[in-house]
Amino acid sequence: MRITLTVNGEAHRLDVEPRHTLADALREGLALTGTHLGCEHGVCGACTVLVDGEPVRACLMFAVQAEGCTVATVEGLAGPDGTLHPLQEAFSVCHGLQCGACTPGMLMTAVHLLAVEPTPDRDRIRAEMAGNICRCTGYVGIVDAVESAAATMAGREDR
Amino acid sequence: MTAAEHRPATGTAVRRKEDARLLTGRGRYVSDLVLPRMRHVAFVRSPIAHARLTEVDASGALEVDGVHAVFTGEHPALAAVALRAQSALPGYVETDQPPLARGKVRFAGEAVAAVVADDRYLAEDGAEAVVVDYDPLEPTVCAWTDPADVTDPVHDEAPDNLLLSRTFRAGDVEAALAAADVVVDRELTTNRHGGNPIECRAGVARYEAADRRLTFWSGTQVPHLVRTQLAELLDLPVGNIRVIAPDVGGGFGVKAVLYPEDVALCLIAIATPGVPLKWVEDRVEHLLAATHARDHRYVLRAGFAADGALLAVRADVWCNTGAYSVYPWTAGIEPLMAGGLLTGPYKLEHYECTVRGVATNTSPSGPYRGVARPSTVFAMEALLDSGARALDMDPIALRRRNLILPADIPYRMPSRLVDDSGAYEACLDRAVEVFDVDRWRAEQARRRDAGEKPVGIGVGIYNELTGLGRAASAGPRMPFRTGHDACTVRVNPDGAVTVFSGVTSQGQGLETTMAQVVADALGVDYDAVDVRIGDTDESLWGFGAFSSRQAVIGGGASHLAGAHVRDKVLELAGALREVDVADLDLRAGQVHVRGQEKPIISLSEVARVAYLQSDRLPEGFEPGLEGTKFYDPIRGAFAAGAQLAAIEFDPATGAVRILDWVCVEDAGTIVHPVIVDGQIAGSIAQGIGGAMYEHLVYDEAGNLSTGTLLDYLMPTSGEIPELRIDHVSVPAANPTGVRGVGEGGTLAPNAVVAGALVDALGVEVDDLPVTPSCVWELLHGGGDR
Repeated sequence: MRITLTVNGEAHRLDVEPRHTLADALREGLALTGTHLGCEHGVCGACTVLVDGEPVRACLMFAVQAEGCTVATVEGLAGPDGTLHPLQEAFSVCHGLQCGACTPGMLMTAVHLLAVEPTPDRDRIRAEMAGNICRCTGYVGIVDAVESAAATMAGREDR
Repeated sequence: MTAAEHRPATGTAVRRKEDARLLTGRGRYVSDLVLPRMRHVAFVRSPIAHARLTEVDASGALEVDGVHAVFTGEHPALAAVALRAQSALPGYVETDQPPLARGKVRFAGEAVAAVVADDRYLAEDGAEAVVVDYDPLEPTVCAWTDPADVTDPVHDEAPDNLLLSRTFRAGDVEAALAAADVVVDRELTTNRHGGNPIECRAGVARYEAADRRLTFWSGTQVPHLVRTQLAELLDLPVGNIRVIAPDVGGGFGVKAVLYPEDVALCLIAIATPGVPLKWVEDRVEHLLAATHARDHRYVLRAGFAADGALLAVRADVWCNTGAYSVYPWTAGIEPLMAGGLLTGPYKLEHYECTVRGVATNTSPSGPYRGVARPSTVFAMEALLDSGARALDMDPIALRRRNLILPADIPYRMPSRLVDDSGAYEACLDRAVEVFDVDRWRAEQARRRDAGEKPVGIGVGIYNELTGLGRAASAGPRMPFRTGHDACTVRVNPDGAVTVFSGVTSQGQGLETTMAQVVADALGVDYDAVDVRIGDTDESLWGFGAFSSRQAVIGGGASHLAGAHVRDKVLELAGALREVDVADLDLRAGQVHVRGQEKPIISLSEVARVAYLQSDRLPEGFEPGLEGTKFYDPIRGAFAAGAQLAAIEFDPATGAVRILDWVCVEDAGTIVHPVIVDGQIAGSIAQGIGGAMYEHLVYDEAGNLSTGTLLDYLMPTSGEIPELRIDHVSVPAANPTGVRGVGEGGTLAPNAVVAGALVDALGVEVDDLPVTPSCVWELLHGGGDR
């Protein structure tokens, strides 16, 4: 089936089978392998992308369901000149990643969190990020990073 | 930065070299790899724990569009090959593991056939169309079943399912127990769980028939070991095999195994030359068929003197090794570690411990972060907690009474391992201070008086045997000794540095750590160093990631290679500028006469001469500027650690809530403080997962009843508390002074959670994990569990 969707600001036409997941369409069809698959049953959150601004498990959504949608993936976070998004920067500084497998999903979940709730406290961050499993960090660096990025982003808004 | 401002990279939280690609979705994982003409493999897996294979009918699968081939264990390409984990240990029963099941299946999840198709969807369609006829046999699930009840052994070679047993003996346990003032008994079990990295196993194999070359991209922790083992199994020269482990999405030991699926993929690739084959495991397969761990039983007796001195320990240990002796580590991996390290950081003269590795019809057990010691630390600390109750002593005071102290070092443990740490009391002291035991004791009393939910304090102290050299890695008596790694440091013609290190990384940031070590040993900036790892065609040698060994051993090799090349640079610089080499120093890529600010020559100019201007090469100098060194610490570096936690238990619901968690470790010299703390935090989180949530449960028929992440619960940011990590730093006797940190954090949480439970509620927990229902049943009586 032919679908059209916008990914990271770019319009794409894709030929997919009805059973192809959005995650596979992004990874195989568009070579956007930053979206990772950790469980393929919607629990681990590694494949989280934003569809029309809402976080979605790309392993649980068929590509055809994204017809006409706007999709944001980790590849679209940094600026065109390579400048890291404040969350990416904070994840690096706070050691919010080790192996990087959960990281794209963590980042997209955090992007959504800070969009709807710009200054969450640590308990809120822990609760909101609890849909994404990280096996490496013990979450300390991730919570630090989201908190730090929130402060950075709030500071920018104030200016 | 001027030379005067040059600071060592060691000890600094430099930006990780890995981050730029991993944060932007540009990582290079095997799962992402696409090659021309590539086909995909899906495995057909047994739904039955133990059965004779009477027929595998692939005809239906071959009619599925896009399916190219189906391979079974009997296929000529695979039929002659078996993985056979070898050990010279007396009494060890060697058994074969076929790449795909032959004759019978030994666990639910074992691969029976492999379907090759144009994409993974089609390969799975094909797998569904393969019809397998099973003739069920009696399964064994529990490793401490009476051997007399075994009617259908897992392997014919071991009629009682016993693959290995060994008794560790020191002193006279019988006499010491008879003389003890207090004797305590415990019978404990620990829960089967596993590594579950977020990226499951993955491989791509490509064979070029004309020159018999195999390239295997694999998410492995041990690429060089995979290469030598594949060479044996596939009958190819080692040099014809290239194993590449690019970015790997977590390992934790699970990927330190050469799996039958890996070997099958390579054999099928050899049978279909020129066609790259890709297999990416899904989570359901991972839970079913990647190695499990920690399914143990401990029957323990300990004797104490009235003053709290630990006099004797007797232990009987059963480790469930699953259906196969894990390749190449053997079924000894858990039992031998359990017997060797059970006594932990405590002085003990009289010790008798019999360990057994018992085959069952469950997924094979293998290395998982902390190998056996999360269980043995639980066992040892449970004995000390019981002893403290019997003696009416404070549990922390009882531990202090028995710890190996700096004055005892080197301390020969009853298993004859030599402990070089002795920093246990220092870690405990610091942990007690950071945690503030008095504050929590006061809170405990306040809650008791106010009738609020009780809180308990749990403690776990441990030794992490890290960086095992040739003398210490001798335990399982395998046909290889994992004591050494190599590193090549190359100064390129432009003066930049490329390091080819034998280490591998599954998130530990080894590119960064090795760059720091080389930058300091050579005398260049961190940013001038690029590190290549994980490719057997690039780096000379490394055994890989296990036993918290790489910072110690790979780091040692990196340091030695960096220092060696620095000497070469200075010799060439001295000859070029006619200055005595003894007066020269290399800092931030500039050669100085010691004490002088102005450099006499830059590293890049020295490199240009070495590669491009042989006319300027002084007499006796060969072109090029690189060096390779091996390092083997011979013994190892024990790392000490202590953890304390305050945990609340709700008697009404059984709910368990961690209020505070403190860990103090001796990581020796710390190369990258944030990476080190990240290793400790991550390992504590996995330990907490094992202590409270993660449990791979088989039913009596051998079906895994926790086959998805909805049943197998890994902790999230909602469960893991804020972790307070601190250090004592006693440099180890190796080139960089580091001690390993990868595993230590996992060792204590079982003991800490169980200890907090008895401290809060006065009931001893014998069977992990400590779930709400476990707590509730301990308090209210649960009948049959």
